[in-house]
Amino acid sequence: MNQFILADCTTESGALSQLHDGAVVKAGGVDLLDLMKSGIATPTKLVNIRNISGMRGIHETAQGLNIGALTTLAEIEEDPAVKAHYAILSDACGHAATPQIRNMATVGGNLLQQNRCWYFRSDDFACLKKGKDMCFAFDGLNQYHAIFDNTTCPSVAPSSAAVALLGLNASVELTSAKGKRTVAIKDFYVHPDVNPMTRTVIAPDELLTAVVIPKPASGTRSAYQKYGEKRSYDWATADAGVVLEMDGNICRKAAIVMGAASPVVMRSPKAEAMLAGKPITEETARAAGKAAMEGAQPLSMNGYKVQLFPVAIYRTILLAAGQMGRDPSAVG
Amino acid sequence: MATTKITPAEEALLGAVADAATPPPGTETVMMPVGIPGYTLHQEARQIPTTQPPVLPINKDLQYIGKSPKRWDAHAKVSGSARYTYDIQLPGMLYAKFVNAAVPHAHIVSIDTSAAEKLPGVKGVYVIQHLLGGAVLRDAALKSKTYPTVRYAGQPIAAVAATQPHIAEEAAKLVKVQYDAKPFVVDLEKARQPNAPQVFPGPADQAGTAGGGGGPHGVTQTGNVHGPAIHKVGDAEQGFKDADVVVESKYSTQVQTHSALETHGVVADWKPDLLTVWASTQGTASVREELAAFFHLPKSQVRVITEFMGGGFGAKFGAGNPGVVAAQLSRQTGTPVWLMLDRKQEHLSVGNRPSSDQTLKIGAKKDGTLTAVQLVSFGSAGCGTGAGCAGPATNLYKWAALHTEENDVFINAGPASAMRAPGHPQGAFALEQTIDELATKLNMDPIDLRDKIDENPVRRVERQIIRESALWKSRNPKPNADQGHIKRGVGLSQSVWYRHINMNSAAEVRVHRDGSVEVLSAVQDIGTGIKTVLAQVLAEQFGVPPEKVSVKIGDTNYPIGPNSGGSVTTASLTPAVRDAAWQASQKFLASVAPALGTAPDDLVLTGGEVHSKSNKFQPITFRRAAAKMDTDEVSAQSKRIPDYNKGHYDTYGGVDVAEVEVDTETGLIHVKRIFAVHDCGRPMNPSQVINQINGGLIQGISYALYENRLLDPNFGYMVNPNLEQYKIAGSRDIPELHVQLVESYIGQSSTDASGIGEAAGVMSAAAAIGNAFHNATGVRIRTTPMTPPVVLKALSKAPQRSETA
Amino acid sequence: MSDRKSPSEDAAEQSSSPQNSNNVATGISRRGFLKGAGITAAGTALLEGVQVFSREAVAATHSDVKELGPGAVPVTLLVNGKEHTIQIEPRTTLADALRVHMGLIGTKVICDRGSCSGCTVLLDKTPVNSCMTLAMDARGHHVTTIEGLPQNGELHPLQTAFVKHDAMQCGFCTPGMVMSCAALLEKNPKPTEDDVRHATAGNLCRCGTYPRIFAATLEAAGTSTRNA
Repeated sequence: MNQFILADCTTESGALSQLHDGAVVKAGGVDLLDLMKSGIATPTKLVNIRNISGMRGIHETAQGLNIGALTTLAEIEEDPAVKAHYAILSDACGHAATPQIRNMATVGGNLLQQNRCWYFRSDDFACLKKGKDMCFAFDGLNQYHAIFDNTTCPSVAPSSAAVALLGLNASVELTSAKGKRTVAIKDFYVHPDVNPMTRTVIAPDELLTAVVIPKPASGTRSAYQKYGEKRSYDWATADAGVVLEMDGNICRKAAIVMGAASPVVMRSPKAEAMLAGKPITEETARAAGKAAMEGAQPLSMNGYKVQLFPVAIYRTILLAAGQMGRDPSAVG
Repeated sequence: MATTKITPAEEALLGAVADAATPPPGTETVMMPVGIPGYTLHQEARQIPTTQPPVLPINKDLQYIGKSPKRWDAHAKVSGSARYTYDIQLPGMLYAKFVNAAVPHAHIVSIDTSAAEKLPGVKGVYVIQHLLGGAVLRDAALKSKTYPTVRYAGQPIAAVAATQPHIAEEAAKLVKVQYDAKPFVVDLEKARQPNAPQVFPGPADQAGTAGGGGGPHGVTQTGNVHGPAIHKVGDAEQGFKDADVVVESKYSTQVQTHSALETHGVVADWKPDLLTVWASTQGTASVREELAAFFHLPKSQVRVITEFMGGGFGAKFGAGNPGVVAAQLSRQTGTPVWLMLDRKQEHLSVGNRPSSDQTLKIGAKKDGTLTAVQLVSFGSAGCGTGAGCAGPATNLYKWAALHTEENDVFINAGPASAMRAPGHPQGAFALEQTIDELATKLNMDPIDLRDKIDENPVRRVERQIIRESALWKSRNPKPNADQGHIKRGVGLSQSVWYRHINMNSAAEVRVHRDGSVEVLSAVQDIGTGIKTVLAQVLAEQFGVPPEKVSVKIGDTNYPIGPNSGGSVTTASLTPAVRDAAWQASQKFLASVAPALGTAPDDLVLTGGEVHSKSNKFQPITFRRAAAKMDTDEVSAQSKRIPDYNKGHYDTYGGVDVAEVEVDTETGLIHVKRIFAVHDCGRPMNPSQVINQINGGLIQGISYALYENRLLDPNFGYMVNPNLEQYKIAGSRDIPELHVQLVESYIGQSSTDASGIGEAAGVMSAAAAIGNAFHNATGVRIRTTPMTPPVVLKALSKAPQRSETA
Repeated sequence: MSDRKSPSEDAAEQSSSPQNSNNVATGISRRGFLKGAGITAAGTALLEGVQVFSREAVAATHSDVKELGPGAVPVTLLVNGKEHTIQIEPRTTLADALRVHMGLIGTKVICDRGSCSGCTVLLDKTPVNSCMTLAMDARGHHVTTIEGLPQNGELHPLQTAFVKHDAMQCGFCTPGMVMSCAALLEKNPKPTEDDVRHATAGNLCRCGTYPRIFAATLEAAGTSTRNA
């Protein structure tokens, strides 16, 4: 790991004053240290926002939830309000990485983390995401890569929290010296076709300061599950976030979100359409899962994901609807 | 590895020798317990030297041996005070870092170390002239005349030593290597093609280590294909003609890395008359041997210390490149040097379990008798050899004819090294599933068929226990019986390993006037618990609780100890320790006899008390007697003597049953339970033995389902050289494990101990899971790791719910 | 990608240029085709790889900001109830601070990436990976390492249970396992086996000692009453 200056900040304004000349923000530091240890990131200045107390905590408001960006995944997972009304988010935060990492990683850092492609993460390969001209996954090993939107950089979206937040129509609060703006999660991520090096629309002088989640409509039920190869600590090969707005047994409206399917977390309107106005049954859930794969374009080694996602989706729909327990074979 | 069988005639002959009426001079005939208590236990005669201690009864009649006192060094391990090589910090110590090859195949044109040398804090740079590990060209004239040829990405090229780790890391990046890159190949299939890039310009061979591994020497080499090494017994062609049923199938297995949690490495301190090396090794003796040879030092001037050691699994023998380079840097700088590999280097450069592509064909009569077994295997040990996997096919069952052809295929990847039961998990994966296929074709129960073709009497008992187990009884003989997407299945597999003894096993035992006793041996404890076992041996002799025994091991200043590979440590060393303890106790009695007013031969030390046979005094405790020693200390040294029944071919083994649930929609296999019945001669410490078997099974599950070294096909780099994408079974992947030990006395030594490491389930888990998978789904899975894509693909080829074979 | 060269051509190209000290597999040109596109703060360093310190870039003027490093600075950490003042660079991880600067070698760095949890220590009562935590971020917290678990010279009941159940083989993962399980018991004094499995889901043991670790932790849960 290269040497760097650590700019220790105790306030937002202090941190904002440091965001220039290539300084990199460090919160929990999990992903950043990983990249630095591998020589992928070599910043000379880290803006340490970890100890800004105002940026941590979960607050219920009349509009919904406001979660400080420095709130850890473990804190979100265990929060009673989140558990009660935003099960999808509790699930997603509670099944990310390892217990230790969930204690360190912040929700802001989780949303901003870099993709998990092994070519990007290896110092042996200089790929598109590092500003070079080539993606190594297409002709290489792509079993964990994207099955949608995979024409430029097929590395998959890494954040499970983002899956939940997209399903909940959440936004992030971005703060700069000029003020604050709110960007919906659906608009937050930049597709690699636009720029493979850029993950999000956050500007160099902005901090992600909070996550804002609207209050769910009455009758909302939600869940998240991820599938990997191992049951303990694994990245998703397929995952599903499901938010159902129910009128009795009838689904008024649904959000079906996939993380490990594409470079940017995506909703599946086709899957959602299969549920809208219908009762949740295994049949409708399976139909939704199947519909979600329309337009999938697997690469040479990840065709199995087209089989996996529908399963992840239908089981998570049934979990959300209370018709099935948590899948013991999902990553825990 | 032992791959030849002793014929019944030879066995009878050896038995006859043992039973001879008049023992040769210096020996006596004793009766020893042999067989399995509750099944076959009986007494057999052995001729043994008269200097040997009395015959040890079976475990139930002993106080400390065969019991499970707490691990001798458990306190140090749970409290964090255990000092591993990785933890050694010496005053002024430098930290070293390797410079690794950045291309998979190249001649090195030049190496410029000037920038690295100039970096403040850098104290030494060393460019490797002679690389250790991997196959060596038979024709020395073909070897590179300058720097060693790069044959895999990550190969060590040079190393730098600096005052701090991150300075060394930065300096390593400043070493400029100019490569003349050559075409490379990292795929086994491609490497077999006639026009494939050649990993070696001519035939090359790799020697094994103290842990086994390595490949045959002198076999033909065609391109990258080193082999075949052919082993033929009888006429296999005729055997297949004689068969009523023939099954033939192909199996393939992946490359697994050892991934010991402590990486390879040493701390070397080169002083003018002594090179001291702390090493994370499975063999202090092997490290001393290699360093002395490499630097032309007398062995007496090389000291190797391994106080604690964080796992090896077969890959840690000899000094290797880290040992040699650290010693070199220490010599250059006059300062101790710490050189431990990082996780990526550990995956790339210090060994792995080779892959395999196997075609196995077995012919049988209607009654199950095997008429012929034929195995053709291709496997890659990277730029090394040792991918042979015919052990199980050769040694598990009785056949009329055998024909095996093992081929190593060179690719541009790090060389393999011995890994826990080399060749056997691969071989058993194919063999044990094929035996089950055969059973199906013969309409026989899998256990009945094995009873018919497996002559080993211990496994027969083990199968009996399995047959009567609730888990086996719960198996539906009809495959694919479950409706729905979760399908349950039960399957079994067997293990076989071979009794090897390392005669370089010696120890000293000391008795002090204060009643304390200590044992000294250079042997290292690699996590198996030999420290505890040695303490138990002394405890049994002196009646002192094991935790009160001082165990000083892991230092070549002590008498030589065996290298811990091939399940030899306990079997090799404990007899030498018991002999030394016995002799020390005799010296002790001689030392106290005058003060006790009697002759030494009137005294007996038993149950922690000194007794007078003639009742000259009331029994006194060992401790009180020790106070009467005529010198402060008595001691005795012993070395291993040959096995009592040396010509007898002993094997160890086990039978494991796995229960799986296959999720046919996700392709995930959940191993729910394993019932494992194993033997390892006399279990010296059953708890530690079971711990090892749990571990073998878990490593086997991890191999079966998760682990895979992945090389990018286009550039030759490993894409998962970490512990995140190189996936090792974790807490939620562990089934309920139930292990039962079968005590099996063989009358071979003064402790009659055997080993467990290799036969601990690591070779049978994948096969048992494979057979359980078939029982669950009706489909054969012939590839590891059995990841969701592999499983879904296998299931997609299956006829719906009707297949039974 | 149809324009990919053969591996050997590519290797030849990269190796012919010793200036390319990274020796990584690269594409054809060095300039990104999307030059000028917006980049994230987090992405900047990834792309530019700035290696040289520029003092003007780091001038801090804000009163709520304190700059440390890049060289070593004195730092006081509270470890196992005792204050340690050490000289470290900001890049020093907590694991290195403990091991190298304080000689607390019980904490093991195994994967160095947060994937094995061998380096687990408690920050206040929370288990974290010390290999992925900057030592600077441990300021103001109580750090507990394996060495700090025993009290009054007696092993923590969990450590005693590990000994009793022989919940170790080589022992290299043991400190991390003990810390994970100790943190679990602190938070959940009566865990189920499933709870223990979840708490150790990030801890790797290569010897395969898991069943013993589960048993030891469950037993300690029956006896552990004190606050660690």
